[in-house]
Amino acid sequence: MANGFSTPIDRRTLFKFGGAGLALAGIGSLAACSTSGSGGGATGTIKMLYFGEQSAATALQKAIEPKIRQLDKTAKLQVTAINGTDWNDFLAKVLTQIASGDVPDIVSVATEGQQLLASKNLLTPLDDLVTKNLSGLSTYFKGIHPSLVESTMYQGHLYTLPDSFNAGSMFYSTSLFDKAGLSRPAANWSMDDFHSSAESLAKVGGSTYAFDWVVRLWGSWTSFLYANDGNLLEEGRYSGGDWLWGSKAFDGNAVGVSGRKGGWKWGDPTANSDAAVEALQYVIDLQKSGASPSPDVGGGGTLQGLFASGRIGMTIGGGFWAGGLHNAGMKDGSFDVVEFPTWKSNKSLFGAGGYGIFDSSKQKDLAFEVIKLMVQPESFDALWPGNVTTPAQKSLLTADRYKTTGPEHWSVFYDQLDNSVPISAPPYYNALATALNQRTTQAISSGNAKKALDGLQADIEKAAAQAS
Amino acid sequence: MTATTGFRSRRAAEVAARRPAAKRVRRREASFGYAMIGLAVVFVAVFTFIPILASLGLSFTSWDVISSPKFVGLDNYVRLFTDGPVLASFGVTVVLAVCIVALQISLGMLLAVLANNRKRNATRVFFRTSFYLPLLASSAAVSIFMGYIFDTKFGLINYYLNEIGLPGAHWLNDPFWAKVTVVLVVVWQQVGFTFVLFVAALMSVPVDVQEAAAIDGAGPWRTLFRIKIPLISPTILFATVIAMINAMQLFDQPFIMTKGGPGTATTTATISLYQAGFQNLQFGFASAIAILLLVIIGIITGIQFIAARKLVFYQ
Repeated sequence: MANGFSTPIDRRTLFKFGGAGLALAGIGSLAACSTSGSGGGATGTIKMLYFGEQSAATALQKAIEPKIRQLDKTAKLQVTAINGTDWNDFLAKVLTQIASGDVPDIVSVATEGQQLLASKNLLTPLDDLVTKNLSGLSTYFKGIHPSLVESTMYQGHLYTLPDSFNAGSMFYSTSLFDKAGLSRPAANWSMDDFHSSAESLAKVGGSTYAFDWVVRLWGSWTSFLYANDGNLLEEGRYSGGDWLWGSKAFDGNAVGVSGRKGGWKWGDPTANSDAAVEALQYVIDLQKSGASPSPDVGGGGTLQGLFASGRIGMTIGGGFWAGGLHNAGMKDGSFDVVEFPTWKSNKSLFGAGGYGIFDSSKQKDLAFEVIKLMVQPESFDALWPGNVTTPAQKSLLTADRYKTTGPEHWSVFYDQLDNSVPISAPPYYNALATALNQRTTQAISSGNAKKALDGLQADIEKAAAQAS
Repeated sequence: MTATTGFRSRRAAEVAARRPAAKRVRRREASFGYAMIGLAVVFVAVFTFIPILASLGLSFTSWDVISSPKFVGLDNYVRLFTDGPVLASFGVTVVLAVCIVALQISLGMLLAVLANNRKRNATRVFFRTSFYLPLLASSAAVSIFMGYIFDTKFGLINYYLNEIGLPGAHWLNDPFWAKVTVVLVVVWQQVGFTFVLFVAALMSVPVDVQEAAAIDGAGPWRTLFRIKIPLISPTILFATVIAMINAMQLFDQPFIMTKGGPGTATTTATISLYQAGFQNLQFGFASAIAILLLVIIGIITGIQFIAARKLVFYQ
């Protein structure tokens, strides 16, 4: 019986065409793996990746685009939002988009991804662009804390212009403090004071807890580690940066630039140091005593809900919580903020967010003009409506800004910066963050901080070796 | 003789005249056939074979997305077989998969038998719909929801356990209970799939065979184990293979509920793959994990089919 599939187009021929098709498709797919990318948008259209909701990105686009048109009538801004639970999540999605070959011109970058993107030459150094525009940026540099700018430098070069930050302070529920008979802690309160407050709050009872936290790098048990004069990595600074610190950029800056260098240099891991073990064991013991619930990993949505519903006495937060707690239904006056307690030192941590230009952008000058517009004080509320982060420009931290959302002692947000160090985010940040989360949850479930941190030390050593 | 020869030659001439037409018809049919399967072939090639081949190729490279891939030979595989946490994640995957499949199949069968014994069709439809509904929900949404329910301090489960005087468990914060929770959530969501398959299979068991068994004195249990289960064994095999393949690729529930923790207690192979690729930017290593997982799933499926030769009864 004749097979209808055998005569006219034989199998061999079919396989030949099929093979050729597969090969072409294979080449196509491998080409998609290429990282050459599109190098930004078409001439005149600046493409930007924004960390947040698309509605906010669209609002930002509408707010900024008319100003860009004043610079170049044909210029357009296309802002694409990327959602994420935190900067780590955002960074992973940005990298995935880069992998797809769609490389924008401008990207929001936080401390978490700064050194990774810079070390891979994905971001272009802004040194020349800043030097050429010093007069136009004088207000910007005059009003910003130099530590924020220094945190966005890598190997002596500036990679982003920061417009926001969050330093780890201690938020507290005023109603639970009242119930526990506690008054507002002093600005220079100690770990003993903190522990005493926690014990008092734990006696309030009901379904409340004295303290809660989130497993992550920023504002986790790491805040206690910093206060204990430790860190996950050896702290150091790159040489260089004189082109900026020695220029007139910071003339008139109230803080001054003395001692500033070319960015933070993260050295060997110190994750199982005595300070680290003591800090992690402290929060584990708080949980064992019933003063603290099991923490969530990443994000912080659950913690925010618990705090907003009056079930948590104290927790670590930054300026982003003013808007976050207000949006969660907390009224001004129901929460407040105080500096992080002092342990062996008064060192605390912060993370900064800003804007960088992809090295592949073909419109770097125009992109820089857009960034200059975005870091202007008047653009801040279009970019970050509702106090969802802390402005980098001190002039923007006013009583009027926090009139609706609170907290009463909003000035703590900026004051906390004076003794802060950026979160330790080396070029292999992602591997470090993954290991930190895993080992922290291991420590919580086993109750043994030392063993888990020995593991973390080994994990970070391995990650550093693989990255080098 | 001459007449016969003449007839044959006329016949041959007619056949020869018809041959091009027949060829045209066959060609048309063949083209139609290839067109029909062509889309499926292209779909499978583009979305299955090429990604597998690309993954295989990438597994011999070091690629961080940002720079170009560098050929590293078997380095990723050497690292894979010496990387304790990643190997442990394969162990976790197998343990979770075996528990999930065992529970999913046995519970699915139990529910199917109970539902099938209902006399009223409406009752059977009600149970079928009820047990299938969780499968329609997004596993991400289910995982978030279950994360709240199983929360140690604020979850409903511990609340009701405490209400009846039982101590709550650290469902998501203890290495053992975290595994149990993941298994329970996956089985709760997936059991509807096996349940519906088994209900349909049980309904297809010939009534005359069941009646003959009853006449021979077989009770309900003997009928179930000696008649029904052997007759639906091909369906059981199918459900087991599919459930095992799905369970070996377990990701959503542990990733969302426990982030693979505490420690690495619920870190499955696919979570290791995600961490290596999308968090640590080691796509070559992540591809090696994917290839090993593919091989392991292939071996397990092969073992299931070999075992099926003795255990599955084809009518």
